[in-house]
Amino acid sequence: MRMALADRISAVVFLALGIALFVGGWTMDRLEIRRIHPASIPGLVPMILGVLLAICAVLLFRSSYTDTERGKVGVLVGGSWSRLGLTAILCTGYALGLVGWLSYFWATAIFTFAFALVFSLPVDGARRDQAIAVAGSLALAFGVAFSSSILFRELFLVRLP
Amino acid sequence: MSGLADLAAGLSTLATPQLLFHAAWATLLGIIVGSLPGLTATMGVALMTTLTYSLDSTAAIFVLICMYVGAIYGGSRSAILLNIPGTPASAATSLDGYPLARAGRAGYAMGLATAGSALGTIVGVIMLVLIAPPLAEAALNFGSFEFFWLAVFGILISGQLTADTTPLKGYIAGILGLAVAMVGSEGIHAHVRFNMGVTDLNAGIALIPAMVGAFGFAEVLTAMWNRSGEIANKKDKSDRTLPELIDLWRYKFTIVRSGIIGTLVGIIPGVGEDIGAWASYATAKKTSKEQEKFGSGSYEGLISAETGNSAVVPGSLIPAITLAVPGSASAAVLIAAFFIHGIRPGPLIMIEQPQFIGLVSAMVLIATLFMAIYGLTLTRAFVQVLRVPYSYLMPVVFVLCVIGTYALSQRMFDIYIMVFFGLVGFLLRQMKYPMAPLVLGIILGDLLDKSLRRGLTLSDGDLLPFFTRPVSAGFVAIIVLSILMNIAAVRRIAMSPVRWLGDRFSA
Repeated sequence: MRMALADRISAVVFLALGIALFVGGWTMDRLEIRRIHPASIPGLVPMILGVLLAICAVLLFRSSYTDTERGKVGVLVGGSWSRLGLTAILCTGYALGLVGWLSYFWATAIFTFAFALVFSLPVDGARRDQAIAVAGSLALAFGVAFSSSILFRELFLVRLP
Repeated sequence: MSGLADLAAGLSTLATPQLLFHAAWATLLGIIVGSLPGLTATMGVALMTTLTYSLDSTAAIFVLICMYVGAIYGGSRSAILLNIPGTPASAATSLDGYPLARAGRAGYAMGLATAGSALGTIVGVIMLVLIAPPLAEAALNFGSFEFFWLAVFGILISGQLTADTTPLKGYIAGILGLAVAMVGSEGIHAHVRFNMGVTDLNAGIALIPAMVGAFGFAEVLTAMWNRSGEIANKKDKSDRTLPELIDLWRYKFTIVRSGIIGTLVGIIPGVGEDIGAWASYATAKKTSKEQEKFGSGSYEGLISAETGNSAVVPGSLIPAITLAVPGSASAAVLIAAFFIHGIRPGPLIMIEQPQFIGLVSAMVLIATLFMAIYGLTLTRAFVQVLRVPYSYLMPVVFVLCVIGTYALSQRMFDIYIMVFFGLVGFLLRQMKYPMAPLVLGIILGDLLDKSLRRGLTLSDGDLLPFFTRPVSAGFVAIIVLSILMNIAAVRRIAMSPVRWLGDRFSA
């Protein structure tokens, strides 16, 4: 994706967010019942921010057509989509799924093992290299799960999820 | 001179075996964190904040400052050896450091970087002890009107200077940060805003989960997205890590100038170490007699970049302590940590804890000492650290992001916040939106909101005092000028006298 297109998409999102902020601030309770000063209503700053964000979004949208040099630069290019996708899935799966569903120790051990193995296993490599990758991932998984559990539970007195 | 006396008192307070032990491991850990591409100083300080809840306030802040100093310096390792800055602060370092490493002088480049960093920090510490107390006293006269403009100024300047492509993106990032700060109970009438029916949002979005997400999880994603670099292995027989004093003496003016520039950049809210390094590097290049060597292994270029970025550390602490306005993203986390440990940064610091500035200066100085010792002795070990594969490092970092965030108030909701900010932060970074104004917006949102509404209440809705009070008027003038300078025609007209003078001098 080119920067110009990314800017246009983000400008539309920010414009919507700006309008939402303004409307949210405008419709916010003005606390007349508490007889507060009209200049101190809670929605004042959100309204101002909404207007400013909308103005910036419009300017960004406009500049995506005028600033051609900047617009040609690629966005999300030069990296590995598969590595990014796997990382995002593994990390969000651990943080939003495993933690809280399994005990912290097992959730962490499973996540660390899976992450380390996925990115270190030589799929087409020799059996010995594959065995080393599995053993290394297992050792890391249990080491991280055990040490972080002990550190936070015993030293920082945190009730683990 | 009371600042220097406070510094001496701070040094004596910290000279206990236990605190020095904390300084030793935290600085070493900071250097390791900084040297690994993908782990930044802000992320290190944010994660370390979650690991220091149980320490007493002096030890906790000492650990965080050692981590900060170590990480900013540590970035130079990978910048020199891999041509990949360990932290954004070291981007300028790689310009001359990597060519030196490729020429077999990696050890000497690292030695010079160490000396430059240490000297830069010392210049910054001197300015910290001299500038911070009078600034805090001056800020005692600030009212709501001035604090409102200070917050606006901080976000605007940060947005303008940290934006990679167009200042618009910096402004948008700042406004987004302010919008995030609008969520939850507001500070004047305790009215809950934008909680969207989620009771967990009633207290607002805490800074630490947001920072750990934006700088921790987002960096894990960025590191796995990017390809890794190759270590420069060539070694010259004459290479050594101890810099020759003659080289340091030859560039004494560059060191002092870069130290001052770095500190001044640090004082500007939310700008940070990378700008400090670039500003120092550009000035050194402009004034150097060896301009042609810059970019191809110049000692002077390397020293100026490292001196500049390290001087930002004490510089960024000046507004952080005296105004509660962070000079860098890492300083923003430090402010949050100050509050967690019962220290209230701001103008009242000189009344409530008059020794605090001296104590923090002493912490930076001791961290610098450990940094110099490690930097000159553990060069080989740091090279080994760079060989740790991401497949083993990143899951450990993410586990710390999750459990560290959770440990703050032991609720799952903070983990969700961290993940959200991580994903959004990654996307925003890819689209070249700077993170520093966003963070600054989150931390200054409450101040801006309360100051505006309080000021308007005091003036009975009249906007005039916001523009007529002397300090406010000064802020307004700078803000208007900095916005207008984005317009090419205005910039041309404004800069024409400077260009005219430059032409006269060069003629």
